[in-house]
Amino acid sequence: MSVIAYDVIVIGAGAAGLTAGARLASEGLRVALVTAGEPTACLSTGCIDVCSAGKNPPGGIADLPESHPYHRISATALRESLRNFQTIAADLNMPYTGDADRNRLVLSAIGTFKTSCLVPVTMRSSPQSAEEKVHIVTFAGLKDFYPGYILARLENAAFSTYDAGVSTTMGIAANFEDDTFLEAFILWLEKLNIRENKIAFPAVLGLESAASIVDKIEKRLERPVFEIPTIPPSMPGRRLFNVLKDHFRRQGGIIYWGWPVIGVEKADRQIEAVRVESQGRPMSLNARAFILATGSFVGGGLWARRETIVEKVFDLPVFVPGDRDDWFVQDYFSGNHGIGRAGIAVDAAFRPDGCPWDNIFTCGAILAHVEALKNGCGHGFAIATGEAAARSCLEYLR
Amino acid sequence: MIKTDVIIIGGGATGCGIARDLALRGIPHCLIEKGDLAAGATGACHGLLHSGGRYAVSDPVAAKECYDENRILRRIGEKCVERTGGLFVRLPGDSKMFRERFLRGCDDIGIPTEILSSTRALELVPNLNPALEEAIVVPDCSIDPFRLCLLNMKTSQIKGGLSFTRHRVVEIVRSHGRCIGVKAADVYTGEIKEIHANILVNASGAWTDRVARLAGCEVPLTLSKGSLVITNHRLTDMVINRLRPASDGDIIVPNEAVCLAGTTSLLVEDPDRIGIEPAEVDTIIGEAGRMIPHFNSTRIIRAFSGVRPLLKSQKLDSREISRGFQIIDHQNGLYSIVGGKLTTFRLMAEKMVDTIMAAFNLKRDCETAERPLDGQEELSGYPLNKRLADMKNIVCECELVTRGDVERIIEQTGTRHVGDISHRTRLGMGPCQGGFCTFRALGIMHDMDILTAEQSVQSLREFLERRFRGIRYALWGDQLREEQLVEYIYLGILALGKHS
Repeated sequence: MSVIAYDVIVIGAGAAGLTAGARLASEGLRVALVTAGEPTACLSTGCIDVCSAGKNPPGGIADLPESHPYHRISATALRESLRNFQTIAADLNMPYTGDADRNRLVLSAIGTFKTSCLVPVTMRSSPQSAEEKVHIVTFAGLKDFYPGYILARLENAAFSTYDAGVSTTMGIAANFEDDTFLEAFILWLEKLNIRENKIAFPAVLGLESAASIVDKIEKRLERPVFEIPTIPPSMPGRRLFNVLKDHFRRQGGIIYWGWPVIGVEKADRQIEAVRVESQGRPMSLNARAFILATGSFVGGGLWARRETIVEKVFDLPVFVPGDRDDWFVQDYFSGNHGIGRAGIAVDAAFRPDGCPWDNIFTCGAILAHVEALKNGCGHGFAIATGEAAARSCLEYLR
Repeated sequence: MIKTDVIIIGGGATGCGIARDLALRGIPHCLIEKGDLAAGATGACHGLLHSGGRYAVSDPVAAKECYDENRILRRIGEKCVERTGGLFVRLPGDSKMFRERFLRGCDDIGIPTEILSSTRALELVPNLNPALEEAIVVPDCSIDPFRLCLLNMKTSQIKGGLSFTRHRVVEIVRSHGRCIGVKAADVYTGEIKEIHANILVNASGAWTDRVARLAGCEVPLTLSKGSLVITNHRLTDMVINRLRPASDGDIIVPNEAVCLAGTTSLLVEDPDRIGIEPAEVDTIIGEAGRMIPHFNSTRIIRAFSGVRPLLKSQKLDSREISRGFQIIDHQNGLYSIVGGKLTTFRLMAEKMVDTIMAAFNLKRDCETAERPLDGQEELSGYPLNKRLADMKNIVCECELVTRGDVERIIEQTGTRHVGDISHRTRLGMGPCQGGFCTFRALGIMHDMDILTAEQSVQSLREFLERRFRGIRYALWGDQLREEQLVEYIYLGILALGKHS
C-alpha cells in the first residue's frame, strides 16, 4: 500500500471543507482533500444563506437556541469569513453581492421569495418585491422551469420563450459559453422590444462566464438582468463549487476526487491515516490532523439506520434526536422535524464531543443542532464554521 | 337534475364492477366517487389475486369463491393480471400440522397445488430464505387494482353509464320514506349535482356506515386497518406467502417494478384518520425478511394502509372475521354491499345486480364472467420496452413517463388532480415518490390551462403533505436521504411554505 503524508486531510468537498482546506493551505500547510464525488453544493442555489429565519443575521443568530453551533463563532469572525469569501469569489470572476449583516430576497422558480444574504452577481437584480415589472425569458422544452408559477405572483410580469436547440439546464448553459450563440440570443432579445424594466432567466446563463454574460446582456438591453435559481442540476451551485475548488487549489491544496474513505488507521488518541478507495489498490493518506466536513444526510456524512443514526467516516458519536418516530413530525411544513438537529455535537474548538481522538475537527452541515432548513443556515454557516475549524486545527498543529 | 335507474356510491372495485355488470345488462346507472377510482381499500392493498390458498384452512367458502374468481379474472382480464403463480413457504419451526390441513383444504376446494423441495423453490425464486423447508405452489397472481377499476368503468362508459369522480355525496334525497336520489358536491367547486334514481347502491367500503346514515340507516362494520410497505425493486417474480395461519407480514406480491409486503391487522374507528406505527413497518419488514432475507437491506420507498370493511363480529382478532360479503336491503330503495375482497369483487357485483334485477322484475343473465374486460386492446401489459422507445421529454425518470403521456391523460380525463395522472401512468410511484415529477406535472397542467398557477402551487403543497404522510413511516437509509433532498428543493430552493 502506498503511503503519502500530509499535515491535514480534509474529508468533504462542500463549502465547509473547501474553505477550511484553503485556509490551512494558505498558512503553508500541506493539505489534501478527499471526496467521494460532487458535493451537494452543486445542487444548491449558489446563494450564501447565513441565517435566513427571522431578523437580519446578527439578530437572527442571537435568537437561535443556545445549543446552535453558530454561538461558537464571534460576530466579527463571521463577518470576516464572509468578506474573505467575497474577495475570493470576486478574484475568480464570480462576484457576490450583499453584506453579512443584512438579508436580501431572491425570486424563486415558483414566484416565492427566498431569503438569503450574499448572492451571486447574476442574481444581484432579483426583485425585492412582487410589484416590480419583470420580463421572464424561458427556453423551449426546459422541464424544470414553468414561468406560469411566477406570473401568478408577480403582477407586472410577462414572458417569452427561446428555442436553444437543447432543453436541459446543462445543455443550454454550455451553449451560452459560445459567443455566436450568445450573440444570436441577444439579437433575438433586442427584437422582442421588452417593455418591462428587468429581464429574468432561469439560471442557465453559462458556467464560468456567467458574470460577463449577464453583464453583456445588461449593457445591450440597457436594463438589469437576473437569474432565477432552478432545481438541480443547478448552474449557480456548480459555479460556487468551482470558485471554492479553484481557490483551494491556488493555495496549494490537492484534491483526491472520487475516492471515498473506506477505513481509518488510529493509535491511542490520534487518527493516523484514512484509507481511500482508488483505482487499483487502496491508498493510505497520513496526516497530523483531520477536518470532517462530509455534510448531513444528503451529503452522505450521516446515515440513518432503522434504529439510530451513524457518522460514516470515523463512526463518531452522533446526537440522535430521539427514536425513529421522533425524527419527523406530522406537519410537513412545520420545519420542526427532529432530524434537522441530528449530527455531531462539538466543543468550542469544533472538536466532536465524546471523540476518543484529539486531532479531528468538524464543520459544516454535519454539525448537530443546526436545523439548516428551518434556520436558513446554508453556505454562510458552512464557510464560517469551516474557517473556525481551520483556526482550531492550526492552533492544535502549532 | 340527472335521472337514471341506479346510483352507485363508491368507485372501488365493487362499485366499478357493479357499473360494468349493470352496463352489460342494459341498466342505466351513475357512479359517484369522492376521490379517484380505487382511492380506498382497492388501491391500498397488495394487488394480490388470491388463489384461495390463504383461506383454505380458515374459511373454505371464501377460499372457493377466491379460486373461482381467480380463474375468471385470469381469463377476462389478462392485461391487468400477471400470472406470477404463488408459493406458500414453510420455514424452520412452522407447523407441519398446518401444512397437512392446508393441503387437505386446497384439495377439498379443488385448488391445484404442487409440493417443491427447498432446492427447487430456490431455483424458482433465488432470493428466498435458503433455510426454507419446502414450498407449495398455488395459482396466485398479481393484479393492478387501478387498471382493473378503469377497465370495468370502460364498459360502463361504452354503454352510456355516467360517472362523477371527486364528487362527495352530501345528502340522500328521500320522498315518503324512500331514497330517490342523491346530492353530490364537486369537491373542487362545491357545485351540487342532484341525481335521481329508483335504486341506490352503497358500495363505499369503509365509509358504508357513514353513507347509510345519510338515509337514516346503519351498517355496523368492523374496520380493520392493514398496513403495507413497497420496495424499490422486484425481489421475487412469484407471490410469496408464509405457510402458517394468517399473521402479520406474511405475503409478498410482485407488482410491475416493485414488491408490496404486508399486512398488519388492527381495528380502527375512523377510516379518514389512519396512521402507521413505526412498529408495524418494522414487523412487516422483519416477517417479510424471514421469507426473503434481502427485505432487510432493500430500500423501502413507502408505507401505506387501507381499511378493510368487515361485517361486524364479536371476534376480537379481525383475521377471524369472515372475508365473505353481504348485501343489506334497507327496505327503502337503498342497498349496502359490504365485506368481501378485491379477488371476489366481480362475484359481489353479480349478486348485487341480480338483486337489483329482481327488484326491477327484469330478467337478464350476468355476462361479466364470460366477456373479456373492455379496453384491454389499448394496453400492452407492462410496457417498459414501449416506454423506452420514446425517451424524449421524460418528466418522471423513475417510471419513464413522458410529457406526452401526461398531456394525453389530462386531455382524456380533464383531471385537475395529479393523483389521477399517477394512477394512469405510474408517474411519481418510483423511488423519488414524485419528488421531482410532480412539480413538472403541475407545471404542465398550468401550461394547458387546467389549473391556475395559484392552484398549481396549492396542489403542490397538498401533494407534498400527502406524499409525506405516505413515506414518513419508511424514512431511513437512502429513502431518508432522498427525502431530505426533496425537502431542500421545495422548502429551500423554491421557498415553498405552508402559506407562501
